[in-house]
Amino acid sequence: MSEFRIALRPALGSAVKPAPRGVAMTAMPEGHVVQVLGSPQGPDLSKMLLGKNAGASPHAVRSAGPGQWFIVGDTPLSHSEFTTIATGLKPHAAAVDQSHGRVRIRLEGAMVERTLAKGTAVDLDLRMFPVGNSTTTLLGHISVHLTRVDVAAFEIMVLRGFAESLWENLVRMNVEFA
Amino acid sequence: MASIISCPHCGARPREEFTIQGAVLPRPASDAGTKAWMDYVYLRDNPRGCHREYWHHTSGCRRWLVITRDTVSHEVETCHDAALAKETEARP
Ligand SMILES: [Zn+2]
Repeated sequence: MSEFRIALRPALGSAVKPAPRGVAMTAMPEGHVVQVLGSPQGPDLSKMLLGKNAGASPHAVRSAGPGQWFIVGDTPLSHSEFTTIATGLKPHAAAVDQSHGRVRIRLEGAMVERTLAKGTAVDLDLRMFPVGNSTTTLLGHISVHLTRVDVAAFEIMVLRGFAESLWENLVRMNVEFA
Repeated sequence: MASIISCPHCGARPREEFTIQGAVLPRPASDAGTKAWMDYVYLRDNPRGCHREYWHHTSGCRRWLVITRDTVSHEVETCHDAALAKETEARP
Protein backbone atom coordinates (compact mmCIF):
# COMPACT_ATOMS: atom_id res chain seq x y z
CA MET A 1 0.00 0.00 0.00
CA SER A 2 1.24 3.47 -0.90
CA GLU A 3 2.35 5.80 1.88
CA PHE A 4 1.40 8.71 -0.34
CA ARG A 5 -1.75 10.46 0.83
CA ILE A 6 -4.00 12.13 -1.71
CA ALA A 7 -5.04 15.67 -0.87
CA LEU A 8 -8.82 16.05 -0.88
CA ARG A 9 -10.99 18.97 -1.82
CA PRO A 10 -14.78 18.65 -1.49
CA ALA A 11 -16.38 17.39 -4.70
CA LEU A 12 -19.56 19.30 -4.08
CA GLY A 13 -18.01 22.33 -2.45
CA SER A 14 -19.30 24.77 -5.00
CA ALA A 15 -22.58 23.03 -5.65
CA VAL A 16 -24.37 23.31 -2.31
CA LYS A 17 -27.70 25.02 -2.80
CA PRO A 18 -30.44 26.16 -0.43
CA ALA A 19 -32.84 23.28 0.09
CA PRO A 20 -36.15 23.25 -1.74
CA ARG A 21 -39.22 22.83 0.45
CA GLY A 22 -40.17 19.30 -0.59
CA VAL A 23 -36.74 17.66 -0.54
CA ALA A 24 -33.65 18.89 1.27
CA MET A 25 -30.34 18.03 -0.36
CA THR A 26 -27.13 17.86 1.64
CA ALA A 27 -23.59 17.10 0.52
CA MET A 28 -22.42 14.65 3.20
CA PRO A 29 -19.04 15.08 4.89
CA GLU A 30 -16.32 13.38 2.87
CA GLY A 31 -15.42 10.95 5.62
CA HIS A 32 -14.74 7.37 4.65
CA VAL A 33 -16.05 4.80 2.21
CA VAL A 34 -14.57 1.32 2.40
CA GLN A 35 -15.57 -1.19 -0.23
CA VAL A 36 -15.58 -4.77 1.03
CA LEU A 37 -15.10 -7.42 -1.64
CA GLY A 38 -15.86 -10.93 -0.48
CA SER A 39 -16.94 -14.01 -2.34
CA PRO A 40 -20.52 -14.30 -3.62
CA GLN A 41 -20.44 -17.90 -2.37
CA GLY A 42 -18.79 -16.91 0.91
CA PRO A 43 -20.32 -16.21 4.31
CA ASP A 44 -22.57 -13.20 4.96
CA LEU A 45 -20.10 -10.79 6.55
CA SER A 46 -22.61 -8.05 7.32
CA LYS A 47 -22.99 -8.98 11.02
CA MET A 48 -19.24 -9.19 11.50
CA LEU A 49 -18.75 -5.85 9.73
CA LEU A 50 -21.49 -4.24 11.81
CA GLY A 51 -19.95 -5.44 15.05
CA LYS A 52 -16.53 -4.17 14.16
CA ASN A 53 -17.16 -0.98 12.24
CA ALA A 54 -20.63 0.45 12.65
CA GLY A 55 -19.98 2.16 15.98
CA ALA A 56 -22.73 4.63 16.79
CA SER A 57 -23.82 5.35 13.23
CA PRO A 58 -26.74 3.30 11.93
CA HIS A 59 -26.65 1.91 8.37
CA ALA A 60 -22.87 2.30 8.30
CA VAL A 61 -22.58 -1.15 6.71
CA ARG A 62 -24.42 -1.48 3.45
CA SER A 63 -24.97 -4.37 1.12
CA ALA A 64 -23.72 -3.83 -2.45
CA GLY A 65 -24.56 -7.11 -4.17
CA PRO A 66 -23.59 -10.72 -3.41
CA GLY A 67 -20.50 -10.80 -1.21
CA GLN A 68 -19.96 -7.03 -1.35
CA TRP A 69 -20.49 -4.25 1.16
CA PHE A 70 -19.69 -0.60 1.80
CA ILE A 71 -18.66 0.71 5.20
CA VAL A 72 -19.31 4.45 5.35
CA GLY A 73 -18.86 7.20 7.91
CA ASP A 74 -18.58 10.95 8.30
CA THR A 75 -15.02 11.00 9.64
CA PRO A 76 -11.89 10.26 7.59
CA LEU A 77 -10.08 7.03 8.46
CA SER A 78 -6.43 7.17 9.38
CA HIS A 79 -4.06 4.90 7.53
CA SER A 80 -3.83 2.60 10.56
CA GLU A 81 -7.62 2.50 11.06
CA PHE A 82 -8.05 1.41 7.47
CA THR A 83 -5.30 -1.18 7.83
CA THR A 84 -7.08 -2.56 10.91
CA ILE A 85 -10.30 -3.00 8.92
CA ALA A 86 -8.47 -4.56 5.98
CA THR A 87 -6.54 -6.97 8.20
CA GLY A 88 -9.67 -7.90 10.15
CA LEU A 89 -11.42 -8.97 6.97
CA LYS A 90 -8.81 -11.52 6.00
CA PRO A 91 -9.24 -14.17 4.71
CA HIS A 92 -12.93 -13.65 3.99
CA ALA A 93 -12.75 -10.42 2.03
CA ALA A 94 -10.58 -7.59 0.78
CA ALA A 95 -11.03 -3.94 1.68
CA VAL A 96 -10.58 -1.12 -0.81
CA ASP A 97 -10.40 2.45 0.41
CA GLN A 98 -12.86 4.41 -1.73
CA SER A 99 -12.98 7.48 0.52
CA HIS A 100 -11.44 9.62 -2.19
CA GLY A 101 -13.50 8.01 -4.96
CA ARG A 102 -17.10 8.20 -3.83
CA VAL A 103 -19.23 11.09 -2.60
CA ARG A 104 -22.45 10.88 -0.60
CA ILE A 105 -25.54 13.05 -0.95
CA ARG A 106 -28.45 13.01 1.49
CA LEU A 107 -31.98 13.60 0.25
CA GLU A 108 -34.70 14.12 2.81
CA GLY A 109 -38.32 15.17 2.73
CA ALA A 110 -41.88 14.19 2.06
CA MET A 111 -41.35 14.11 -1.71
CA VAL A 112 -38.06 12.19 -1.69
CA GLU A 113 -39.51 9.03 -3.26
CA ARG A 114 -41.31 11.06 -5.93
CA THR A 115 -38.04 12.82 -6.78
CA LEU A 116 -35.98 9.63 -7.01
CA ALA A 117 -38.67 7.83 -8.99
CA LYS A 118 -37.93 10.23 -11.84
CA GLY A 119 -34.54 8.63 -12.27
CA THR A 120 -34.66 5.03 -11.06
CA ALA A 121 -36.95 2.05 -11.53
CA VAL A 122 -36.26 0.66 -8.04
CA ASP A 123 -39.51 0.21 -6.10
CA LEU A 124 -38.98 2.73 -3.29
CA ASP A 125 -42.20 1.94 -1.43
CA LEU A 126 -41.35 1.73 2.28
CA ARG A 127 -42.66 -1.85 2.46
CA MET A 128 -40.50 -2.96 -0.47
CA PHE A 129 -37.46 -0.86 0.39
CA PRO A 130 -37.39 -0.42 4.18
CA VAL A 131 -34.99 1.70 6.25
CA GLY A 132 -31.46 0.27 6.01
CA ASN A 133 -32.02 -1.24 2.58
CA SER A 134 -29.38 -0.60 -0.06
CA THR A 135 -29.03 -1.24 -3.75
CA THR A 136 -26.96 -0.26 -6.75
CA THR A 137 -28.97 1.25 -9.58
CA LEU A 138 -29.09 3.91 -12.27
CA LEU A 139 -30.32 7.40 -11.48
CA GLY A 140 -30.84 8.76 -14.94
CA HIS A 141 -27.66 7.67 -16.67
CA ILE A 142 -25.49 7.76 -13.57
CA SER A 143 -24.71 4.64 -11.56
CA VAL A 144 -25.41 5.18 -7.87
CA HIS A 145 -25.60 3.26 -4.60
CA LEU A 146 -28.87 4.06 -2.90
CA THR A 147 -29.64 3.56 0.81
CA ARG A 148 -32.81 4.39 2.71
CA VAL A 149 -31.41 5.90 5.92
CA ASP A 150 -34.77 7.00 7.36
CA VAL A 151 -38.47 6.78 6.55
CA ALA A 152 -38.23 9.89 4.35
CA ALA A 153 -34.48 10.06 3.76
CA PHE A 154 -32.11 8.47 1.28
CA GLU A 155 -28.38 8.61 0.91
CA ILE A 156 -26.97 8.43 -2.60
CA MET A 157 -23.36 7.42 -3.08
CA VAL A 158 -21.83 8.26 -6.43
CA LEU A 159 -18.43 8.13 -8.08
CA ARG A 160 -16.69 11.41 -7.35
CA GLY A 161 -16.44 12.58 -10.95
CA PHE A 162 -20.21 12.24 -11.38
CA ALA A 163 -21.15 13.96 -8.12
CA GLU A 164 -21.64 17.46 -9.43
CA SER A 165 -23.54 16.26 -12.49
CA LEU A 166 -25.80 14.10 -10.33
CA TRP A 167 -26.34 17.01 -7.95
CA GLU A 168 -27.51 19.20 -10.83
CA ASN A 169 -29.83 16.44 -12.02
CA LEU A 170 -31.31 16.11 -8.54
CA VAL A 171 -31.84 19.86 -8.28
CA ARG A 172 -33.76 19.71 -11.54
CA MET A 173 -35.76 16.69 -10.41
CA ASN A 174 -36.65 18.68 -7.28
CA VAL A 175 -37.77 21.83 -9.04
CA GLU A 176 -41.48 21.08 -8.93
CA PHE A 177 -41.30 20.64 -5.13
CA ALA A 178 -39.22 23.74 -4.52
CA MET B 1 -41.37 -8.03 -21.18
CA ALA B 2 -37.63 -7.96 -21.58
CA SER B 3 -37.75 -4.27 -20.75
CA ILE B 4 -38.12 -5.43 -17.13
CA ILE B 5 -35.74 -8.11 -15.88
CA SER B 6 -36.04 -9.63 -12.44
CA CYS B 7 -32.49 -9.89 -11.15
CA PRO B 8 -32.26 -12.57 -8.44
CA HIS B 9 -30.20 -10.13 -6.33
CA CYS B 10 -31.74 -6.74 -7.09
CA GLY B 11 -35.35 -7.42 -8.08
CA ALA B 12 -37.21 -6.01 -11.08
CA ARG B 13 -35.06 -3.56 -13.03
CA PRO B 14 -35.32 -1.86 -16.40
CA ARG B 15 -33.45 -3.26 -19.35
CA GLU B 16 -31.24 -0.12 -19.41
CA GLU B 17 -29.40 -1.39 -16.34
CA PHE B 18 -28.26 -4.53 -18.19
CA THR B 19 -25.91 -5.48 -21.00
CA ILE B 20 -26.90 -8.41 -23.18
CA GLN B 21 -24.11 -10.75 -24.18
CA GLY B 22 -25.96 -13.17 -26.45
CA ALA B 23 -26.94 -16.82 -26.39
CA VAL B 24 -25.61 -19.24 -23.82
CA LEU B 25 -23.37 -21.51 -25.89
CA PRO B 26 -20.78 -24.04 -24.76
CA ARG B 27 -17.33 -22.54 -25.16
CA PRO B 28 -15.05 -24.63 -27.41
CA ALA B 29 -11.79 -25.97 -26.05
CA SER B 30 -8.87 -23.65 -26.68
CA ASP B 31 -7.43 -26.07 -29.24
CA ALA B 32 -10.80 -26.83 -30.89
CA GLY B 33 -9.76 -25.41 -34.23
CA THR B 34 -10.71 -22.46 -36.40
CA LYS B 35 -14.10 -23.78 -37.54
CA ALA B 36 -15.40 -24.42 -34.03
CA TRP B 37 -14.20 -21.00 -32.90
CA MET B 38 -15.66 -19.24 -35.97
CA ASP B 39 -19.02 -20.84 -35.17
CA TYR B 40 -18.79 -19.90 -31.52
CA VAL B 41 -17.74 -16.30 -32.05
CA TYR B 42 -19.77 -15.35 -35.14
CA LEU B 43 -22.68 -17.72 -35.78
CA ARG B 44 -25.97 -17.38 -33.93
CA ASP B 45 -29.27 -19.14 -34.59
CA ASN B 46 -31.63 -16.17 -34.01
CA PRO B 47 -34.41 -18.49 -32.80
CA ARG B 48 -38.08 -17.61 -32.73
CA GLY B 49 -39.28 -18.41 -29.22
CA CYS B 50 -37.57 -19.33 -25.95
CA HIS B 51 -33.82 -19.39 -25.67
CA ARG B 52 -31.14 -18.79 -23.08
CA GLU B 53 -29.01 -15.65 -22.96
CA TYR B 54 -26.27 -14.13 -20.85
CA TRP B 55 -27.12 -10.75 -19.38
CA HIS B 56 -24.86 -8.63 -17.19
CA HIS B 57 -26.43 -6.47 -14.50
CA THR B 58 -23.99 -3.71 -15.37
CA SER B 59 -25.59 -0.90 -13.37
CA GLY B 60 -26.75 -3.08 -10.50
CA CYS B 61 -25.09 -5.98 -8.70
CA ARG B 62 -22.68 -6.49 -11.63
CA ARG B 63 -23.40 -10.23 -11.70
CA TRP B 64 -23.71 -12.35 -14.82
CA LEU B 65 -27.16 -13.81 -15.22
CA VAL B 66 -28.63 -16.55 -17.39
CA ILE B 67 -32.04 -15.58 -18.65
CA THR B 68 -34.60 -17.64 -20.54
CA ARG B 69 -36.28 -15.18 -22.88
CA ASP B 70 -38.97 -15.58 -25.52
CA THR B 71 -37.78 -13.64 -28.55
CA VAL B 72 -41.36 -13.24 -29.80
CA SER B 73 -43.07 -11.91 -26.67
CA HIS B 74 -39.91 -10.71 -24.86
CA GLU B 75 -41.26 -12.59 -21.85
CA VAL B 76 -38.51 -13.55 -19.37
CA GLU B 77 -39.26 -16.98 -17.96
CA THR B 78 -36.32 -17.66 -15.69
CA CYS B 79 -33.44 -15.60 -14.44
CA HIS B 80 -30.61 -16.83 -12.28
CA ASP B 81 -27.04 -16.00 -11.34
CA ALA B 82 -24.72 -17.67 -13.83
CA ALA B 83 -21.93 -18.53 -11.37
CA LEU B 84 -23.94 -19.20 -8.21
CA ALA B 85 -26.16 -21.69 -10.03
CA LYS B 86 -22.95 -23.47 -11.07
CA GLU B 87 -23.65 -23.16 -14.75
CA THR B 88 -21.49 -25.62 -16.61
CA GLU B 89 -21.25 -23.37 -19.66
CA ALA B 90 -18.37 -20.94 -19.63
CA ARG B 91 -18.98 -17.25 -20.16
CA PRO B 92 -18.84 -16.00 -23.73
ZN1 LIG C 1 -28.62 -7.40 -9.97
